[in-house]
Amino acid sequence: MLYKEKQIKEGIKLHLIQNERFKTNLIAIFLSLPLERETVTKNSLVPMILRRGSKNMPTQEEISKQLENMYGAIFDCGIEKKGENHILKFYLESINDEFLPEDNGTILQKSIDKLLEIVFNPLIENEGFNKQYVEQEKINLKQIIEGRADNKSRYALDRCIEEMYKNTKYSLYKYGYVQDLEKIDEKNLYKAYKKIIEECTVDIYISGILDEKIIKYVEENSNLKNINNRKSKIKKYEIEKETEKQENIIFENLDVNQGKLVMGLKVPIQEEEKQYDTIIYNSILGGSANSKLFQNVREKASLAYTANSNYIRMKNTICINCGIEFANYEKAVEIIKAQLEEMKTGNFSEEDVENSKRGYIAAIKSIEDEQDTEIMYYFGQEFTNIKLDIKGYIDMIEKVKKQDILEIAKIVKIDTIYFLQDGSIENN
Amino acid sequence: MQIIQNLKVKESLYLENLENGLTIMIIPKKKVQKKYIIWGTNYGSNDSKFIVPGENNVTEVPKGVAHFLEHKMFEQENGRNSLDVLTDLGVNANAYTTNDHTAYLYECTDNFYEALDEFMDYVQHPYFTDENVEKEKGIIGQEITMYDDYPEWKVYLNTLEAMYHENPVKLDITGTIDTIKDINKEILYKCYNTFYVPSNMAMVICGDFEPEELLKEIKKRIIKQDKKGEIKRIYPEEPETIVKEKIVQKMDVSRPLFNIGIKVNNFSSLSSKEKVRKSIMMQLILNLLFGESSNLYKQLYNNGNISYLPVMDFEFSKTYSHVLISGQSNNPEELYENFKNEIKKMKSQNINQEDFERLKKTLYGEYIKEYNDVTDIARMFLVDYFKDVNTFEFIEQVSNINLEEIYQTLEDYFDESKMVLSIVKA
Repeated sequence: MLYKEKQIKEGIKLHLIQNERFKTNLIAIFLSLPLERETVTKNSLVPMILRRGSKNMPTQEEISKQLENMYGAIFDCGIEKKGENHILKFYLESINDEFLPEDNGTILQKSIDKLLEIVFNPLIENEGFNKQYVEQEKINLKQIIEGRADNKSRYALDRCIEEMYKNTKYSLYKYGYVQDLEKIDEKNLYKAYKKIIEECTVDIYISGILDEKIIKYVEENSNLKNINNRKSKIKKYEIEKETEKQENIIFENLDVNQGKLVMGLKVPIQEEEKQYDTIIYNSILGGSANSKLFQNVREKASLAYTANSNYIRMKNTICINCGIEFANYEKAVEIIKAQLEEMKTGNFSEEDVENSKRGYIAAIKSIEDEQDTEIMYYFGQEFTNIKLDIKGYIDMIEKVKKQDILEIAKIVKIDTIYFLQDGSIENN
Repeated sequence: MQIIQNLKVKESLYLENLENGLTIMIIPKKKVQKKYIIWGTNYGSNDSKFIVPGENNVTEVPKGVAHFLEHKMFEQENGRNSLDVLTDLGVNANAYTTNDHTAYLYECTDNFYEALDEFMDYVQHPYFTDENVEKEKGIIGQEITMYDDYPEWKVYLNTLEAMYHENPVKLDITGTIDTIKDINKEILYKCYNTFYVPSNMAMVICGDFEPEELLKEIKKRIIKQDKKGEIKRIYPEEPETIVKEKIVQKMDVSRPLFNIGIKVNNFSSLSSKEKVRKSIMMQLILNLLFGESSNLYKQLYNNGNISYLPVMDFEFSKTYSHVLISGQSNNPEELYENFKNEIKKMKSQNINQEDFERLKKTLYGEYIKEYNDVTDIARMFLVDYFKDVNTFEFIEQVSNINLEEIYQTLEDYFDESKMVLSIVKA
């Protein structure tokens, strides 16, 4: 595996990942922008318009047919929130030339061309996007936003984070807001698109069996040549100031059969290096089958099937998730709080620490075995101040000691307890 | 070991049938870090009525035993839980149950053989007590309630309910809170002793291995046991007809979810190769009918009925086979009618040769892509093994399917009287 970066223009970077393990080439384009209330809805609508048609492939049917002819190349796009950044993601996956039944040898180049075409050369009519596409996709986006509560576990997690970061940009919903849609039309959305393309930070990843000739090929792509230098506006990871806040308890009612309990913790570390200690702290708390949460909430008390925790590194936040019977709310909260106390008093062994590290390191070593995970790993590095390759990452985890985890345990604070319960239960 | 090479995808399968009846499949992958092993028994939620070898009476057990057993297999006599032991070794272990099989697995980068000790030990050593069985009822109860909140799961179960009169595939794999109440350790031991025998099991390993060396290590860890007779499984007689054409359930969803099911009869009697060919044809037909470049998709997308491509699959096991199409729609009834019309049109010989050739290429690419990840590869070989098909055969057959066969399959399997529609809406 070989990783190489090449700045094409200011704010536009090409990343090559030469990895011969896969049958496929994966190309990804990420456009990163600051997450803002004013632009969040338009940003999330843009990829939905772009996938409908480009200048040279003006309909979705045309795009599909061309990709199908390339042995089923697959286009995908999406929206992500990374700290206070809004990321527009575009992917194209195609099989590597080595596995084509006939020698045609150009699938990789074609894939690069197609993806750049979809992102940077849209279908334009009268200084705007296609009106029909915009009207249709506004309805589709509205449905996505309104469908937010369809997956109740995911919704509970989103809502807890929203409560934790109330009145900050991080609480924005990545797909935006229904009330914004009314004012959007094909003209002002195209304007917004042009501004995105002028200002966003562009990262292009190419992973697969490839050689460095591909750099030149990308540089000479006319769609890329046409765009200008830009100053990157992305917000890198930064330490947040500690704020005094009471434990916030939120009950919400929806039509659910099982209560979804989410507990949001803040980890106010003051140095970025402490993130590695937090990773292992989280792993012992709720990151595996051996964790305190799994063992105590699930195995000992039989209260839940799901009992785990996740660490959101960009925000130094840990979210604990449990699915429980409504009536077991108090009991579950009590057991979870007891686990946080156990962590604080150091009621875990050196062996627990070593075991957790081992599990986490195995996951790091597997990064190179999954093409999209590997791309996301390197993309994540664009937002941190410490740059690490896979080996460096493993070294940092190796260094974590029990004492370091105790330091984390001492500063962890419950910020918000969120409980989603059945509509018929009264709140007090 | 028998070596089966595939030149198209450039992978090889090392196959061994041990004397005790266990099948072992190894797919070596050079230079990858990840190692994956999965050990399955051909025993799933459908197998609740059977005759234990050597007995005369029929045994019938509560619904949900196979899944319950899967949860309890990790418990060990020394008081430790094997899942904990494996996790301590830095490996990622898990297990799952389907209609027709139960599987235990782990994924790791280091400590493969240390983990293999524990893994093969626990699968061969059940330890059930009244206490540990009771405790699990609370956990599985919450697993069942969790599924109650998944509209995708409800709309799927209702589709099966509409298609099948008797076939147990229509029941929840987990059982219900009521049926699991009756499960006890005696029942678990009986099912374990019946179905967890080498001749009913298969193991697949994928990663950077020397196959012969790995095989030796596996053999060392196998506990000798006498070969048992054949297990007689009793499945209810299933009529060819559907139960009812439509089921609608109310749930708190923002937009209706739908499943279209098409019941396919007489599939299990086909030869292994025919099963592969037919399922390729089914996938091709579905893509022609309702794929990303189809007229139907374009039409329904443009009139706002759907906003993304439904998932379309042909599913089969030894005891059932059906088409499933699932997605979200603002008007599932209209979509269903349009879909049926499209089938009628296609039956009147209107498949475009160019579309057909293009979609064959697409499917070829899809089959190649399935060999990217050791996890996917191992799982695919196990699942196909329990269906009696050879995984490589898909890549081999896809290019030589012809249009005439497609029309025949369309006529045989896309029978309007075997179609059902399931809807979940607010």
